[in-house]
Amino acid sequence: MSENQNTSNCRISRNVLIKAPGLLPMLYTPREIAEDLDVPETTLRDWLNHGAPHSRDESNHIWIDGKQFAAWVDNQRNARKKPTYQLQAGEGFCMHCNTIVTIQNGEIHPVKGHLSHLKGKCPICGGIVNRGIWNAGSSELPQG
Amino acid sequence: MLDRQNYLKVKLFLKFSRDVRGRSSVQISNDFEHLKALLIWAGSQPFGSVPTINTSLPDFLFQKGENGLDQAELQNILNTNQSFFLWVKAMFPVEFQNVRLNWIMKISAIMEGKEVII
Repeated sequence: MSENQNTSNCRISRNVLIKAPGLLPMLYTPREIAEDLDVPETTLRDWLNHGAPHSRDESNHIWIDGKQFAAWVDNQRNARKKPTYQLQAGEGFCMHCNTIVTIQNGEIHPVKGHLSHLKGKCPICGGIVNRGIWNAGSSELPQG
Repeated sequence: MLDRQNYLKVKLFLKFSRDVRGRSSVQISNDFEHLKALLIWAGSQPFGSVPTINTSLPDFLFQKGENGLDQAELQNILNTNQSFFLWVKAMFPVEFQNVRLNWIMKISAIMEGKEVII
């Protein structure tokens, strides 16, 4: 048996994401797994070409382990998630530079309740940077 | 690894349910979920030799039931499994000669007994 090592991200439908954890710990043929996940067999074979785990026997027949395939689907979902970054105190996103910057000359204006508006300048382009902040304190203001 | 022949028999039963009994796709989907418990319980053993498994199917499901399955759902699963065994014994009489009819009828009857004990 041989494994395919080619890996890349695939677009997985929501229906497959829901159904994949229900796959059983056994070897499936591509047709069976396509039926169980309710996707066309051609789509499944495309995923196999893009690195979905499978093996071939001595007759060159493709076999897919249900649990390994479910884990691969889960990895694909996680791989497509954009990395998140929590803005630190005094930081904002400059729409002009399209990057996170430390706001200069920041001023906090209360909006309503716990919500405040931090307004300052971008150190790179000098443009105005705005940020909404919750429970604003003096720590939200950048040093300098 | 589960026995592939068991899986193929389950698929055949679902096809029979859809084509002959006229069960809807939702019912077929539910039946498949119920029969997955049977497949996991049997493991690598062929269905023809499942009466020799130490833990009975109702006991296996009852242990799973303590982790979230309610009593009505358990009973539905057992009823589906019972009708599957009745069908498979009729379709493959030689292969399933060791699976006695009284064992099949006990599948859901034991569960009813457990309800009384609880």
